[in-house]
Amino acid sequence: MEERRITERPPEEVEDPSQDVERTVAVELSAVTKRFGEFIAVDDLTLDIYEGEFFSLLGPSGCGKTTTLRMIAGFEEPTEGGISVGGDPMRRVPPYRRPVNTVFQSYAIFPHLNVFDNVAFGLRRSGVKGEELHKRVTDACEMVQLSGFEKRKPSMLSGGQQQRVALARALVNHPEVLLLDEPLGALDLKLRKEMQLYLKNLQHEVGITFIYVTHDQEEALTMSDRIAVMNEGRVQQVADPPTLYELPRNRFVSDFIGQTNVFSGTVESVSGKRITLSTPSGKVEATAREAEVEVGAEAHAAVRPEKVRFGSEGDNVSTARIQQLVYLGVSTQYIAELPDGEKLVLYQQNSREDANPEIGEEVPVAWDARNCLILGG
Amino acid sequence: MGEEKGRGWTFGLVGLLTPVTLWLGLFFLVPLLFILAYSFGTSGVYGGITLGFNPGNYLKVFDPLYLEIIVRTFIIALINTFLCLVLGYPLAYFIALKGGSWKNALILLVMIPFWTSLLLRAYAWVIILSGNGIANRVLQFLGITDEPITLIFTPQAVLMGMVYSYLPFMILPLYAALEKFDVRLKEAAQDLGASRWHTFWRVTFPLSMPGVIAGSILVFIPSAGEFVIPNLLGGSRTVMTGNLIQQQFLQARDWAFGSALSVMLAGLLVAAIIFYVRKVGAEKLEGV
Repeated sequence: MEERRITERPPEEVEDPSQDVERTVAVELSAVTKRFGEFIAVDDLTLDIYEGEFFSLLGPSGCGKTTTLRMIAGFEEPTEGGISVGGDPMRRVPPYRRPVNTVFQSYAIFPHLNVFDNVAFGLRRSGVKGEELHKRVTDACEMVQLSGFEKRKPSMLSGGQQQRVALARALVNHPEVLLLDEPLGALDLKLRKEMQLYLKNLQHEVGITFIYVTHDQEEALTMSDRIAVMNEGRVQQVADPPTLYELPRNRFVSDFIGQTNVFSGTVESVSGKRITLSTPSGKVEATAREAEVEVGAEAHAAVRPEKVRFGSEGDNVSTARIQQLVYLGVSTQYIAELPDGEKLVLYQQNSREDANPEIGEEVPVAWDARNCLILGG
Repeated sequence: MGEEKGRGWTFGLVGLLTPVTLWLGLFFLVPLLFILAYSFGTSGVYGGITLGFNPGNYLKVFDPLYLEIIVRTFIIALINTFLCLVLGYPLAYFIALKGGSWKNALILLVMIPFWTSLLLRAYAWVIILSGNGIANRVLQFLGITDEPITLIFTPQAVLMGMVYSYLPFMILPLYAALEKFDVRLKEAAQDLGASRWHTFWRVTFPLSMPGVIAGSILVFIPSAGEFVIPNLLGGSRTVMTGNLIQQQFLQARDWAFGSALSVMLAGLLVAAIIFYVRKVGAEKLEGV
């Protein structure tokens, strides 16, 4: 597997001067495999996570993302391969000697200790006492907006508050790397959205490397500098969010990140990067990335719903019968049927003055070859 | 609305609590009041009792002869509780956290001794520990001793029998507490830099305190009132308060003094438990 270079950065980080600087690797996984009996949880995983990065491991349940996190934390030992944190190999280093801290999915707040003692737990173990202990714990509580809650027992806190205690308890130790195992999973949608932004800002403030495990693609896209999409123990693609969305490497990534329309067929002609596919829906003009494509081979082309428009001008033109429309406020989602019965999903911004098509109407649809990508396996 | 709800609640409360209130009132509270009344009475020469207000029975308790027995009782009960805790904790921990699918079977094994009567089990210890009993024969066979050594009729023999009898009362509440323990908290503690040792003392043990307290009380109270085991294994040399009370009621026929001893024992136990829960328990029990 060749490593794709990062050619695009998230828009808000374009001015980041560190972009061109050689970045220090915070966590290095090299050829890590983890087996539980016959089951391969993580399969030959190689990954560099840079210092100060918000890195997400994204995938469906059972894809190996949590196992990967647990191996970095030290709760599981890799069957093969090695992990180093801050350049130090972690083989046989117990969790309590690793320069990492974890925010657990269940929070795992100590129920017998109050907020102060929960947050102070790690500091006390490393010998911090008296004034300094008090100051650091108080500061950490302030950072997560829990000032005044120090004497409360965890049972008297809401889910969101417990979540922030877990966060303060980990961050107060200034770990080299903070591991977060689906920390927002148990919160309701509104609070989750708030916490996403909050976590992102917090990470920016403290500058600690965050490794974030989630199955929620939107969450990963919102917060991460880079994302590793995993499936069945293997990394499918590592990229920043725009690249992942615009240039998914394979079918799994394109399906998992956002919605997509896929056309399957055989390659009819290749001219540079321009590929013509012969599909049951007719000819589809598409663009290949670096993937080698041969005439006569099976191939899949994918186009995002928002890249399909109503009209008859474009590299690919077809007619579609509108079957369903879902009004989403900013946009409307249409589910249409192509002449051969294939489904086509498209989004249309609700900014145009002219009337949108109605259910049952047959309308021309078009999309361009540059937005229609040939996917790898 | 509120009134109806209130009435329903009161009715439910009465309905639910009446049977047990009657039972305990009749068979526990009334006899207890009898004992209390007797303890201030005067025993006749032939065993009868004259009610009145005679504090002499209580003063008699402070006779060094009897005081020694009471102190010994509490020491033996304390040692027994401590030994049960030290021996039972690792086992309860193992079953609850490492038992896996064997959990229920292992707990059943802990409870199996209850299937035979305490008396039979105490007699079994007599057979094991007596002069030419199994223990002595094994010791001689192995060449550890040449002639029988005194095992039975010692405080150690009493403790051996008591630990054996009361161990399940310690293990069961400990198991119940540890079974609820969230092992992820162990990971959280280790993640925060706590070694296994610290994880146990800072997280696992404090969170099992309800089990430790319940187990200690369940073992301490009956072992302080024990009379069968010291009777069979302690002989005349390791008399406990339970034996003394039994003697007063059945042999000496001094019901008044026996009653005073009973009231004293009960009072001391209640005081000890309150002290224990206040000191060790209250803070640990709340919020867990």
